[in-house]
Amino acid sequence: MSVLRPLLRSQQAGLVLIILTLVIALSLLAGSHVDATTGHTVNNFLNSYTLIQTATDASFIAIMAVGATVVIISGGIDLSVGSVYALAGVGMGLFLRTAGPAGGAGAVWLAFVVCVAIGGAAGALNGAMVVGLRVHPFIITLGSMWILRGIAFVSSKAESILLPESLTHFAKAPLGLGAALYPIPMLAMLVVAALGAVYLQRTVMGRHVFAVGGNPEASRFSGLRLGRIQIGVYVLSGLTAGLAAFLGASFYGSVSCGDATGYELYVIASAVVGGARLSGGRGSAINAMLGAVLIVLIRQSIRTLHADQNYEWIIIGCAIVVAVVLDQASARFAARRLAEGAH
Amino acid sequence: MRRPRSVPTVRAKTPKTPKAPKAPMTARFGIVAAALAGLLTAGCQKSTPTAPAPSAASPSDAPGAGAKPIRIAMIAKSSTNPVFLSARRGAETAARDLSNKIGIPIEVMWLTPPQEDGQIQAQRIAQAVNEGASAILISCSDAGKITGSIDDAVARGVAVMTFDSDAPKSKRFSYYGVDDHQLGQDVMAELAKQIGGRGRVAILAGNQNATNLRHRVDGIKAEAAKSRGIQIVGTFYHNETPQDAAAEVIRVNNAYPDIKGWAMAGGWALFTKTLFSDLDPKKIKIVSVDALPPELPYVEKGLAPVLLAQSSYLWGNVGVTKIIDKIYYKKEVPEIVSMDPVRVTIDTLGSWARQLRLWGFPDVPEEYLKLK
Repeated sequence: MSVLRPLLRSQQAGLVLIILTLVIALSLLAGSHVDATTGHTVNNFLNSYTLIQTATDASFIAIMAVGATVVIISGGIDLSVGSVYALAGVGMGLFLRTAGPAGGAGAVWLAFVVCVAIGGAAGALNGAMVVGLRVHPFIITLGSMWILRGIAFVSSKAESILLPESLTHFAKAPLGLGAALYPIPMLAMLVVAALGAVYLQRTVMGRHVFAVGGNPEASRFSGLRLGRIQIGVYVLSGLTAGLAAFLGASFYGSVSCGDATGYELYVIASAVVGGARLSGGRGSAINAMLGAVLIVLIRQSIRTLHADQNYEWIIIGCAIVVAVVLDQASARFAARRLAEGAH
Repeated sequence: MRRPRSVPTVRAKTPKTPKAPKAPMTARFGIVAAALAGLLTAGCQKSTPTAPAPSAASPSDAPGAGAKPIRIAMIAKSSTNPVFLSARRGAETAARDLSNKIGIPIEVMWLTPPQEDGQIQAQRIAQAVNEGASAILISCSDAGKITGSIDDAVARGVAVMTFDSDAPKSKRFSYYGVDDHQLGQDVMAELAKQIGGRGRVAILAGNQNATNLRHRVDGIKAEAAKSRGIQIVGTFYHNETPQDAAAEVIRVNNAYPDIKGWAMAGGWALFTKTLFSDLDPKKIKIVSVDALPPELPYVEKGLAPVLLAQSSYLWGNVGVTKIIDKIYYKKEVPEIVSMDPVRVTIDTLGSWARQLRLWGFPDVPEEYLKLK
């Protein structure tokens, strides 16, 4: 029990328990089918294909959510992540088509570098505008959301651009798991979440982000360079969007200016469900990833249980609102208990 | 050149502090409550897999009681587009009829995303396979994104057929739909006739990423290039919602007041009534793909004297039939199953309206049903 207690008190325990509860419920309720190739009876949910596919679906959102969480902890918001994703993908597609190698590891590396560079540049632009123009990040990133997608639209001429097969081979490498099992996006998600957690919890820069989000005035008087920190968090957000674009585009084999439309809302929802406070000062990279997994799992459950698809938005919306309302109520309750304890 | 059929008989050619605070666990449990409550609510509104027998027969009386059901995942572009709801109805009807015929339950799993998104469609293909679908019937929002997923599904023994919008480089066994390039040419040829072969025209093009719409636009442009008197002022993309489409038409009309015609790659703008007050039928003519109930008054009033209808109901109906031919009867199915567009004019308005009603459209104006 002494081992379990710290685990249960950890930041992630609640979300993990909920996800496990959903997984168990879905496994029990999903039913089964006979696999067309093996002839074995398999559970409709609890099978390696569905589990990895669910993690893959979550991975592109979760990777962006880690970057978005850093922005939210700093007290900002980034509405442009979906557009950064689209622009990075389109930029990569166009670059490979005109100047890149036709295939091989060179194409994969080049694609990665182009995507991450475009993402980082877009993030730096957002950060510079937020700091330089002193306009609320909501407005700045709302504007850049349209601008960046517009650039993607104009530069791609609205075409869907096919990518070299080497990229798809990379993103869909089975790593020995077997046919049609593609763990690369899931592994990338885990690595990004772990790096995000280390950055936020174990580095001075990460602690500065919490400080700026928690109390900007105190941070300023402590000598922290707010502008630099703010630009840095938007660069991080752009980098994660670029990375997600690289993985998503490679996985699906094509890019277009319409990619990731509306994903910014899923990304922010993941961060919020993961406990990030929109006023800043609180959040967790691991929880953001778990938030994305939970949202995708809810979406998956609608299909697994053969519930009416049209209820998807209602269910996800309710889950987000209830999570945040209860989170705030719980925080108030904890603060009251703390105050009572002090007396 | 293949011409649109002039008689709307409806049969397809083939059928705060730097310290990170702890997240309160109780809050997280709220999510479970919300999610499960939502799921329970939704569960009350189960999607309707097509029952093999519509009657109140006991399970043992149902066709193929005990037989392994055939599950067909249907993934259209968007569940908010009425043409796909009509396709769903067609698929469910075919599933019910064929189920009674062959004695095996056939279910249609509706996995269409609420909004167009090729990536989501690719994810849903994988979901369908993972949940044991026997076949998939899909209209591709972005062929490039979906091709890999279709190939994965086929590799895992699931037959895939496309309708409406194809993924020609994939391993799907068949495509059912119109020849989009030809349809675009037909639209422009009809429009040229309506405006006397001279004048400036605009193209309403819908979602820029949809391959089928791009082919239609290419067809429209190719046909316009044949006529020296026709000048295209531009190709205008928009969200495929009636309001967005109508707003785009009005904006363009204000910018180009001398436009004489609109070639529409889809009927979105005509699902609204606003163009009646914004466009003058004496000065401007529209020829559009699709002829759903809300569009019919435009034919009657002469603003859209010709509509080239796709029999959207048949997308689902013929699609399911061909899938059963393939996976149950083991028949050879042609790689391309061609659908002819139906030419709807004031002369054929009555018969087309009655056909739409037969297909289950509830909102067909009564006055059109009485026409000859």
